[in-house]
Amino acid sequence: MKHFQINVSISHFGFFLFVALLTSCHRYFVPASHQYTQQQIDSTLTPDAAYMEYYRPYKQQLEAEMDRVIGHTDVALTKPSNVPETRLGNFFTDALLAEGKKQYPDAEFSFGTKGGLRIELQQGDITIGNLFELMPFENELVLLELSGKSVQQLAEFIAATGGQPVSGLRMKISDGKATDIAVAGKPLELSHTYKLITYDYLANGGDNSRGLNSPVSRINLGQKVREALITYVSEQTQAGKHINTQLDGRIIHDQ
Amino acid sequence: MDELSTINRRRFLKQAGTLAALSTVGGIPLTALANEDHVTLTILHTNDVHSRIDPFPMDGSRNQGLGGVARRATLVERIRSEQRNVLLLDAGDTVQGTPYFNLFGGKVELELMSRMRYDASTFGNHEFDNGLEGLAKMLPYAKFPFLTANYDFSDTLLKGKTRDYIIFRKQGLRIGVFGLGIQLAGLVDPTRCQGVRYLDPVTTANVLAERLKQDYRCNLVVCLSHLGYKYQGNKVSDVVLARNTRNIDLIIGGHTHTFMPEPEHIRNLDGQMTTINQVGFAGINLGRLDYIFERQSKKKKLVTAGRYKMSERMSAVMERG
Repeated sequence: MKHFQINVSISHFGFFLFVALLTSCHRYFVPASHQYTQQQIDSTLTPDAAYMEYYRPYKQQLEAEMDRVIGHTDVALTKPSNVPETRLGNFFTDALLAEGKKQYPDAEFSFGTKGGLRIELQQGDITIGNLFELMPFENELVLLELSGKSVQQLAEFIAATGGQPVSGLRMKISDGKATDIAVAGKPLELSHTYKLITYDYLANGGDNSRGLNSPVSRINLGQKVREALITYVSEQTQAGKHINTQLDGRIIHDQ
Repeated sequence: MDELSTINRRRFLKQAGTLAALSTVGGIPLTALANEDHVTLTILHTNDVHSRIDPFPMDGSRNQGLGGVARRATLVERIRSEQRNVLLLDAGDTVQGTPYFNLFGGKVELELMSRMRYDASTFGNHEFDNGLEGLAKMLPYAKFPFLTANYDFSDTLLKGKTRDYIIFRKQGLRIGVFGLGIQLAGLVDPTRCQGVRYLDPVTTANVLAERLKQDYRCNLVVCLSHLGYKYQGNKVSDVVLARNTRNIDLIIGGHTHTFMPEPEHIRNLDGQMTTINQVGFAGINLGRLDYIFERQSKKKKLVTAGRYKMSERMSAVMERG
């Protein structure tokens, strides 16, 4: 709270405050009551033409770039919040792992967070704009070499938060704890090190994730996550394939 | 004395009830009550609009066809033409979520908000997404202040570019508004908020709200909060803030994208009611709180001391949109 004093350099608002202070010796009014109304913004409201006109040039530029269809998904890629594994999470981390492996073929698994996936993708065409909205952030891919112990910590974080998007890692959640952890098809060994593809936001401590803060080594791949997704979808399309991500039990609740 | 204010409230409820029955759209025409003894104030608010300039596309998704800044503008203009005293406020995360932000860096969002005459907003965590440099670049497009009382920017290039609070004056009313943001550690990449010092929101709020209510004699104290509605555990939220503070009348919340069906009233440290509201995200809703202020004699003024109580019956006149 260093700026409690009126900042006269912001003259417009400083003036407001100045007037308020000059005349603030009496309190004439007290709030007696209030009432609440909430209005949904929908098609019953006619858009204000002046606003549409203002942002039309931006919209045109944006649409020219965003409306291009680059692929197709046969299934809706959703992320229900109450399940440990989601189609959207699988699609996202599968794509990250595939793109990361192009630079580092020895990458073994990938990790993201549900909260980082900002929209779901409907069944049908995938546009550049869809992937911008799925991953609006300017985050970049990172390769982390992690000790087995760090992977264990990461798995515990995933378990404690009810499951997070992963690829190349399988585990069960038992009473909020991680069990039966396997990386690249083999049971986790604490004495081994493992190579993870994730992105800078998470590697820098984002979403309060655990296990990523003391990697054996870190390499910034210099590729945006969004670009990785765009490349992944485009290449599937070029290969004549649709996206058809399924659940495969990579994270399940141990009943 | 207490009885006096109860009677006044009853009288208001009766009037409001009658008017509600007559009213068509957009709530009760409170101006009908405005006279020598009453002043009305309409607070309009949004939160977490996340660059949603156009309505959601018609793609079968949950929110298809909803929102849209040009429609919001129509509604806001309509309300401005009906109400004399309007404040238009936002609780942060104005940007990030559509390519408008990726391509134009916040210019479109803030210019449209300025055109709509927003009175104030605060920083959500996503205002930091392009780093402090990106934030500094977009701020000049806002013709309204960002209120960020618990972020200390003195050692950063944002120094002096935000404010802790502002006092609005409407027809003799003074409305003090301050802003609070969420803990950045663990939420914002440290390279994008380097040098920002985070101050305890509850302590900050108590100091500022007291100053606004007691020293500057504000008739209403409003907090624009990006702390989030509530959490499991002790993490600071709007509910925790309301319970642990004095002198705040209204918390306009954000961050958790909570669609509150109606405002929630929480008893604060003084046993007074602090109202919390939040209207989802993406500009799907516009929240509207209509306050009526009564002119007080000096005698009565001492009794009510600038605070008001929400009774159970009060909710009967609240309308849902």
